[in-house]
Amino acid sequence: MTAVIETSKLSKWYGNVLGLSDVSLEIEPGVTGLLGPNGAGKSTFLKLITGQIRPSIGTVRIFDQKVQNNQALFSRIGFCPEHDSFYEEMTGWVFLTSLLKLQGFSAGEIRSRAEKALDIVELSADKDRLIRAYSRGMRQRLKFAQAIAHDPEVIILDEPLSGLDPLGKRKLIRLIKAYREEGKTVIVSSHVLPEIEALTRTIILIHQGKVFAKGDIHYIRDLIESHPHMVSIRCDNPRGLAGQLLGEDYVLKVRFGPDRRSVLVETNNRDKFFALLLSLLVKNQMEVEEITSPDDNLQAVFDYLVGK
Amino acid sequence: MTSIPPTDFRSFLSSVGRVFAVFFRQGRKARRTRFFFLFSFLPVAVSLVIKFNQVFSGKPGREGGYLFTNLIMLFYLQMIILILALFYGTSVCSEELEGKTLAYLITRPIPKAAIVLGKYAAYMAVMTGMVILGLIFSFFVLNVDRLLDPSLYGLLGRYLGVLILGLMAYGAFFTFLGSSLKRSIFFGLLFSFGWENVIQYFPGSTQRLAIAHYLKSFLPATSSGRFSFLTFRLEPTKPGLALLMLFAIAAAFLALACLFFSKKEYSLED
Amino acid sequence: MTIREKGYAHWDGQLRERRFPWAPITWLGIRLAFKKKYFKFIIFSSLVPAVVFLVGIYISERIEDFQYMFKGNKQILEVNPAYFKTYLSSDFLLFMMVMILVVSGAGLISDDLKHNSLQLYFARPLTKRGYLLGKANVIVFFLLLLTLVPGLVFIIFKLLFAGDFRFLASYPWLPLSVIGYSLFVTGFFCSYTLLFSSLSKNRRYVSILIFAVYLFSDILFGFFYENYKKPAFALLSLKANLQQVGSWFFRLKPAYAVPWYWSLLILLAFGIAASIVLNKKVRGVEVVK
Repeated sequence: MTAVIETSKLSKWYGNVLGLSDVSLEIEPGVTGLLGPNGAGKSTFLKLITGQIRPSIGTVRIFDQKVQNNQALFSRIGFCPEHDSFYEEMTGWVFLTSLLKLQGFSAGEIRSRAEKALDIVELSADKDRLIRAYSRGMRQRLKFAQAIAHDPEVIILDEPLSGLDPLGKRKLIRLIKAYREEGKTVIVSSHVLPEIEALTRTIILIHQGKVFAKGDIHYIRDLIESHPHMVSIRCDNPRGLAGQLLGEDYVLKVRFGPDRRSVLVETNNRDKFFALLLSLLVKNQMEVEEITSPDDNLQAVFDYLVGK
Repeated sequence: MTSIPPTDFRSFLSSVGRVFAVFFRQGRKARRTRFFFLFSFLPVAVSLVIKFNQVFSGKPGREGGYLFTNLIMLFYLQMIILILALFYGTSVCSEELEGKTLAYLITRPIPKAAIVLGKYAAYMAVMTGMVILGLIFSFFVLNVDRLLDPSLYGLLGRYLGVLILGLMAYGAFFTFLGSSLKRSIFFGLLFSFGWENVIQYFPGSTQRLAIAHYLKSFLPATSSGRFSFLTFRLEPTKPGLALLMLFAIAAAFLALACLFFSKKEYSLED
Repeated sequence: MTIREKGYAHWDGQLRERRFPWAPITWLGIRLAFKKKYFKFIIFSSLVPAVVFLVGIYISERIEDFQYMFKGNKQILEVNPAYFKTYLSSDFLLFMMVMILVVSGAGLISDDLKHNSLQLYFARPLTKRGYLLGKANVIVFFLLLLTLVPGLVFIIFKLLFAGDFRFLASYPWLPLSVIGYSLFVTGFFCSYTLLFSSLSKNRRYVSILIFAVYLFSDILFGFFYENYKKPAFALLSLKANLQQVGSWFFRLKPAYAVPWYWSLLILLAFGIAASIVLNKKVRGVEVVK
């Protein structure tokens, strides 16, 4: 498949701060997830490919055209910004029709497109309310509506699922998937892996301004699975439990927490470890207060992958 | 289906027109417009107070034309157009940064310069509407007893022209400030009520470094007493040259504003 | 396996009540103002008259050495209550105070409204009064720096340069006048600024309001005074009212032939109206209409 978006050695500095470093990517039609913790450079990457900022080094091409100052290209791109910001004194309808007007559509087309977009995001009933009276979820959906209203070929969504309730998330995920079926190119950024997982199998992992993994979800998953996990168990007999765990080869380290009531275990096979833990707890009739995974989050995975 | 990309000057103008249409509507409907509309109508209230006082006290008082000139100098030229131009001019760029709405505009198929020019034109239209209405009402209230005097209308036309030129030049300057400085209001206030007044006291060509100088060059030389600093030691520029200068100032600062807005990468701060 | 975000962490510490819960708000406001380079410039520019007046006090004690400058006219450098009143209610100082309000005061409440942070403040052991006090004290700090501090410094230096207490013996009430007037001006400007800051989420709009209302009131006075020559129109001007009240504090004849208490009443009424509006506007819950 031909790449729609191509970046070559893309780098961006904000003064002395590195925003993005040496990113060379080819993004094909379909949904691509841009995954990384806060401050990883996701928004910088999206701003660069939408021409909002200029690269310090490198190039961006969409449909084999340069992006910077190429206004014609913007009619083929839809962008949903990360910030929860609007022209607050407008109604949802005026906001959408105003932006469609800027796209250069005729009055009739503006009306029909705005109606369609509002219908898609289920905001038709609230279109005449002021945006400042919208709930967070409604604002998020309106932001999405303005990105799709002009029927762009490339849709770039910066954290589109944040602030949505589970039902809203599911609906938006379904919508985004529908665009994939239409052969459009959709880029979605998020710092929440399950959100991206629900959307696509093609993921770009970005961290500290660098892309350090790109590929299928299984590849990323494998990386994550091989990542040693920390599990903390607070129980009435931590020493006894530690002694029984130490014998297993998939238990790499055992130490005690500062409160002396918990035991911290590092394992490279979570499934086997939890199976053993459960059986030990039942067998010894131990009273467990809490089981947590201190590093069971995206940052920990990134830290592991970048070799921290 | 996608829209037609702008490729030439006509499509640039069409982009400016589209931006104008959006922001003229927004400018008219905004809550702040109601405040500024009332603000620019304060001289009308003052005129009414004067007229009522004349009618009920039975004293003829000052002549309407004199009061009208005074009103223009004090309220409109020294305050209202400065305040309006400062707020709306800086709003052209600053409100997009403060409201973090810039991304909605710059990811549309319109040149960045068209955004600046379209918004400037829209806000100019809103401000001009406010000032013209206020001025015309004040004029009629103060001159209600001699509305048949045709010379008065020439005076009114001249004052209207001066105020519109003032809005145009100051608006362009403040648009430039808004596109280039973070604290544009503070520097705008210093310029409007510091520089523009102080520079009037200097003799020779120095007073030509103020926009107010060119505006005053169109007005009859009158002393406005205690608040006369705007006409203090005026060495007027010929009206034709003054007009040219005001257009040049507006064009230059708008061009600079477009340049800054197109080239500068704004950081959206909290 | 699921990978989830870090959730909330519970704080197990003991909650200690602060004696002045508003103090962090004040210090933050002051620190933020000083972070702006041009703000330091305004503060130092505003202190220029204080330096000039201080030099004046020095010259007044060495008037013989400066005779050639005044050609026998000693009157203009007599340090008396009028000297203090001239400094504290001068057009320039009041203008610079308004500029300081524009820069450091406009965003005090409006920024909180913009970012919906009022509920964050009131989720802490902080009352509405504490919040407003914290915000007001930012203005108090800067305005007293321009009024009270120089006023007291003038008295101290006058005594030091004179080497005796005759000056204080002649005007024993002067320190109280300086303190009273400084607090009055500061109090008025606090309510004035906080009122406008609570009216909008847009800081630029608030800045313009603070400046425009002050300027408009003065222009209005100028217009009517010029055309009708009636001193009562001084009551229309915030600046003239502050100066009229200043005359009373320093036991001087007011510049305009209007009783000073009318000016005082107008300014107090403004302050009361401001506190009522502030009480309504500053709420932990935003009401969307």
